[in-house]
Amino acid sequence: MRRFLDRHWYAYAMVLPVVVVIAALVLYPLAQGVFFTFTDINEGNIANPVLDRAATYTGVGLTNYLNVLSGDPSFGSFWSTLVRTLVWTFGCVLGHYAIGLGLALLLNRPVRGRAAYRVLLILPWAVPAFISAFAWKYMFNAQYGIINQALRAVGLPDPVWLGQSDWALVAVVVVNVWLGVPFMMVALLGGLQAIPGDLYEAAEVDGASPWQRFRHVTLPGLRSVSGTVVLLGTIWTFNMFAVIYLITGPNPNTRILVTYAFERFFSGASRDYAIASTYGVLILSVLLVFAGVYRRALRRQGEVW
Amino acid sequence: MRRTTLVNALAAGMAAALALTACGGGGGPAGDSGEVVFWDTSGPNESPVFGAIAQECAARGGYRVRTEVVAFDQALNNYKTAAQGGQGPDVLRAEVAWVPQLAKLGYLVDLTGTEPGRDTGDFLATPLGSTRYQDKSYGVPQVTDSLALFYNRKLLADAGVEPPRTWDEVKAAAVRLGGEKTFFLNNDAYYALPFIYGAGGDLVDASAKKIVVNSPENVRALRTAKGLLDAKAATTALDPANSYHNMQAAFSAGEVAMVVNGPWSVADYLKGPAFADPANLGIAPVPGEEAGKGSAPVGGHDYVVRQGTRAKESSIRFVSCMSSTASQVRVAKELGLPPTRKSAYADPGVQANAIVSAFQPVVTAAHARPWIPEGGQLFDPLKIAYADVLAGAKDAEAALDEVAKAYQDQVVTDYRIG
Repeated sequence: MRRFLDRHWYAYAMVLPVVVVIAALVLYPLAQGVFFTFTDINEGNIANPVLDRAATYTGVGLTNYLNVLSGDPSFGSFWSTLVRTLVWTFGCVLGHYAIGLGLALLLNRPVRGRAAYRVLLILPWAVPAFISAFAWKYMFNAQYGIINQALRAVGLPDPVWLGQSDWALVAVVVVNVWLGVPFMMVALLGGLQAIPGDLYEAAEVDGASPWQRFRHVTLPGLRSVSGTVVLLGTIWTFNMFAVIYLITGPNPNTRILVTYAFERFFSGASRDYAIASTYGVLILSVLLVFAGVYRRALRRQGEVW
Repeated sequence: MRRTTLVNALAAGMAAALALTACGGGGGPAGDSGEVVFWDTSGPNESPVFGAIAQECAARGGYRVRTEVVAFDQALNNYKTAAQGGQGPDVLRAEVAWVPQLAKLGYLVDLTGTEPGRDTGDFLATPLGSTRYQDKSYGVPQVTDSLALFYNRKLLADAGVEPPRTWDEVKAAAVRLGGEKTFFLNNDAYYALPFIYGAGGDLVDASAKKIVVNSPENVRALRTAKGLLDAKAATTALDPANSYHNMQAAFSAGEVAMVVNGPWSVADYLKGPAFADPANLGIAPVPGEEAGKGSAPVGGHDYVVRQGTRAKESSIRFVSCMSSTASQVRVAKELGLPPTRKSAYADPGVQANAIVSAFQPVVTAAHARPWIPEGGQLFDPLKIAYADVLAGAKDAEAALDEVAKAYQDQVVTDYRIG
């Protein structure tokens, strides 16, 4: 052991700062959050040095998890909220990817004014999310919004978009797709430009149709970029709070796990830090499982990530 | 969590968008920073007047005041977050239901022994009740209000309809007022209270520690509200996020004949084409199940001082000055907000204000709310249930049973459902 340290002390000394920083910035808050899930902590019993008040919360064991996992409506109907979160996530990511890929393919060919198109298409990304959210909220207004006015003008039924039905979820998915497409488009455009042109030439010489070229050259060439952006997009969308909360507020028809955690933490009936942390830990668990499965699937396809 | 903190910080930053700074004056009393930061939640129509009075109070009292206009719906959250860390305003304009909650959490200075705490004889009993928690005084009433029926005199007169006194009369009037154009129903929880109180219901019975939100009276009350929609005698914005805005737009444009709202909304209405002549705006007590039995919740705002302030003396003097009879008279005359001091109502200028005199009987008859710390938290679950019922997504009974359960699990955990 002694000899081991003598020989390797330098390496350990170099690693130490990173370990300390990660422990302080990542592990400690995480551990505290996990600890809160086993207590009944809320804003009434948390310690407050400013007000000279000691903490009075107590451990409650697994009660918070049992309450949440029972799917009780008073604790956010966990299972149906989880299903809605998955629908929301896959709806959004599918929209992002399909539209982003389509636009990237269009932009990857020489067209006049390509720079202008690129700027325009990237614009939704540059607008602060809350401004887009309020603009869309107004467009979805059931009485005065432009969307329903247009639908009425052509004689189509005009649903109450942001009301107490699943249309609200459709509406927020539309907004989030609009917001997220530019990122996908830029990332995939980068991927497309990294595919060597001679592959296409070779395919063309072999008599491959455009569809075959897309299917057998473009998609495999994009695989590593796609794998990363889809994983990133899934995690972001799963935890996308701003769009849903700013457009529909605490509407149970658009509630996903993270907005419910926020409701319990800040805006709901009480600042119930314990339940909010429990949701946080459950969200983290779901995402870890997803990332693990996804990585394994990619690795099976020969990706090293 | 990182994202949510960010959003909150963003909201706080935006809230402080308008800050009026006054210089001059002395340094304030000893042991006191001499600068009072005042969070005004009153909104763009009213805050200029409160801001001007604040500056005059500061000039007279020898301290400085910085008024920060914050959004009403964000203020409680931002205040709690700030106060927990020893930051935030020195004086907050708090909605009446917030006061017991903030007092219980230890965020407010106990004013019992101070001058505004002793000077209580002149205040109306119901608003004064909102400042009390466990026999101590934690605030000073700023304005009081309640909900009333606003109507478009011309539209009603043209149709030959009297202002309705019952919900059935609203239905009957719809035949002549053009069906859905008769009444705009806001699907927010606070606006369900006239139906609930008018039917003899309530949310909780604080003295008996009982949750009564799913009582048969309340089920009937929400069915009455839904009945107005079903009978095409009322319209609503079924998207809750847009509901209040659409109500204001529709009424001030003359598209609907009647709404239920509070005195703060008058400024919005008078900007609309339907009320270019302010005399066209009629105000009557809210309808009830039976004539004369309408009942609306008492609302309003109190001044509170933050625990941990570094300008305690100046803040208390500021609160005294802001709630003095002279200040209240000025607010009532310029903004039409009903005062909380009896002496202010004696002022001839206040008597002459049409809005105040129309609201005076409404405010006096207003239905008291339970002044419990959880009082302000009763609305979130009810809001969702009420919107569900009006949208036809849920039956009133099932929706209210869920509210009762949510109250018991989250809000008043030591109460029984009964």
